Amino acid sequence: MKSLNIFLLIVLISSLVITSCKKDEVASLQKGSVSIEFDHVWGSNEGEFSLNKELTHPMLGEKMTFSLFQYYVSNVRLKKADGTWWTMPESYFIVDAATDEGKVITIPDVPGGEYTDVELMYGVDSLRSTSGAQTGALSPSNGMFWSWNSGYIMVKAEGTAPTSSDGTFVFHLGGFKGDNKVQTIKTYAFGSKLVVDGTREAEVHMIANPARLWHGAQKLSEKSKQTMPGALAKSMSTNFYDVIRFDHIHN
Amino acid sequence: MLTHNLDNIQYFVISNQSIMARLIFLKLAGLLLVSFFLGSCTDHQSNSSFALSYPDYFPDPIYQSTRNPITKEGFELGRALFHDPILSTDSTISCESCHAQGHAFADHNVALSEGIAGRRGVRNSPAIFNAAWQPHFMWDGGINHIEVMPVAPITNDVEMGETMNNVVKKLNRNQAYKRRFKQVFNVDVIDDQKLLFALAQYMSMLVSATSKYDQVRQNKAIFTDIEQQGYEVFVQKCSSCHKEPLFTDYTFRNTGLPAKPDETGRHHVTLEAEDMHKFRMPSLRNVALTYPYMHDGRFKTLREVLNHYSDNMQDYSNLDPLFKLDNGKLGIPLSENEKTALESFLRTLSDYSFTSNPIFSE
Repeated sequence: MKSLNIFLLIVLISSLVITSCKKDEVASLQKGSVSIEFDHVWGSNEGEFSLNKELTHPMLGEKMTFSLFQYYVSNVRLKKADGTWWTMPESYFIVDAATDEGKVITIPDVPGGEYTDVELMYGVDSLRSTSGAQTGALSPSNGMFWSWNSGYIMVKAEGTAPTSSDGTFVFHLGGFKGDNKVQTIKTYAFGSKLVVDGTREAEVHMIANPARLWHGAQKLSEKSKQTMPGALAKSMSTNFYDVIRFDHIHN
Repeated sequence: MLTHNLDNIQYFVISNQSIMARLIFLKLAGLLLVSFFLGSCTDHQSNSSFALSYPDYFPDPIYQSTRNPITKEGFELGRALFHDPILSTDSTISCESCHAQGHAFADHNVALSEGIAGRRGVRNSPAIFNAAWQPHFMWDGGINHIEVMPVAPITNDVEMGETMNNVVKKLNRNQAYKRRFKQVFNVDVIDDQKLLFALAQYMSMLVSATSKYDQVRQNKAIFTDIEQQGYEVFVQKCSSCHKEPLFTDYTFRNTGLPAKPDETGRHHVTLEAEDMHKFRMPSLRNVALTYPYMHDGRFKTLREVLNHYSDNMQDYSNLDPLFKLDNGKLGIPLSENEKTALESFLRTLSDYSFTSNPIFSE
């Protein structure tokens, strides 16, 4: 009986020690921020993409100069090495090709730890598209919201093209419901571990290819405007989303 | 729970209706005090809760926002904004310019409203009342939420011609508005969401439920013989779409109006062939006050509307099946006597307490 008591005491003490060690370990990993950078390339040979630069579309064979290129990325989740997921609250971003800062989305307050995958939604979820006035990246004042046909412009591409009937192209692509639902969730495995511990900048690099918007699409001489949801908005934006790829991480 | 009680208090205090209300007020006054102590750490306690009041035969409203709870101060701020031309690019047009209380918040009996610089759109300015029950807005139903509704007229080139960014800038330069937004939403900088929240508070409080029809329904009045006769015709021939008590079922239907070029109705926002020339079912409440009628204001009188339904309907492949009669004819069979009676009944839906309620005017 006495030995049983001693045994229990040992178990109790050792469990306390083990627990406190674990606790120390967790506490030692500080929260940190993760930045996800979207680099833009042009065409299958991944040439340089930038605004205000004349580009030739490899499939259409037409020249085009972007003046604006923006798209929504939302609902960011990170997968921990233990297989559980951390979800960023209020996770809505507009990626804007106009500036270097615009191409980086920053995820603050990520719990310390090691991460193996990232999940992103391209576009905006239907819940926020139907829940009234929003703020931040979802504010209508960003010019990415259709006032007359409620919903977000999930991809916005504008510019000039000499072959277009009026010399310009305007593609405002979106649609959050039914067959023409555009928003798409993608998961990318890093292949190595992204460490978040508050002492270093954790970076994820993605590569997006705006030329893919016109993959299999009509020539700009035939179709240079699309400013509402529909089958074309869906095929153009999902063609673009489908080839956004993970490139590398920096710890 | 406390908030709910506070709602009741404020509602009763404001409506100042009965001794019973005062008793409830006293009973809950203790709770109010307690809640002040409990809530002293939280923000903007000076706001008084305010609740939507409506008859028990109304369904629950769709707009019951927990993130934008209606307060007296928020409602009054929304009311000020609704009446202020600051929302338009050249400070000439307010919401009230085309949504006047005396006309149940429709325009002043014009077919197509005038926006900035005398520009005109293509559709009749709809009345605003019982908007808290409305699942979608505009004649084509393109807008899905009361909070984002005002973005359309504010930014439309032929209406207010502004940008949300610039409206917000102008409001932030106005110290009186800055103070009021601070009081209502506890923000130092006004953003478009808070502007839209305030407008939604005002618009959702525009409840029209005090017409003669409502008095009759509450056994406080009786229909005249001809009104009663009209009501019976209405129930038999109109109420399947203009469903009581809101007098609409919020569906989209093709009602056989000859189409004008480029006007495709709901098809404009869905691109679905079946939505061609369909429009949102409007409520018939206050209908006598909101002429001219239909999506483009083409009919000046109720009789012209009734004549359209009885005799002048145009066939379409997606004409509402309710209008396709067994004898091969189209429309709603109505005798001249029935039309006269219907008009008498429809006038009982005019809600003069609503159109003259000083709480809604600035």
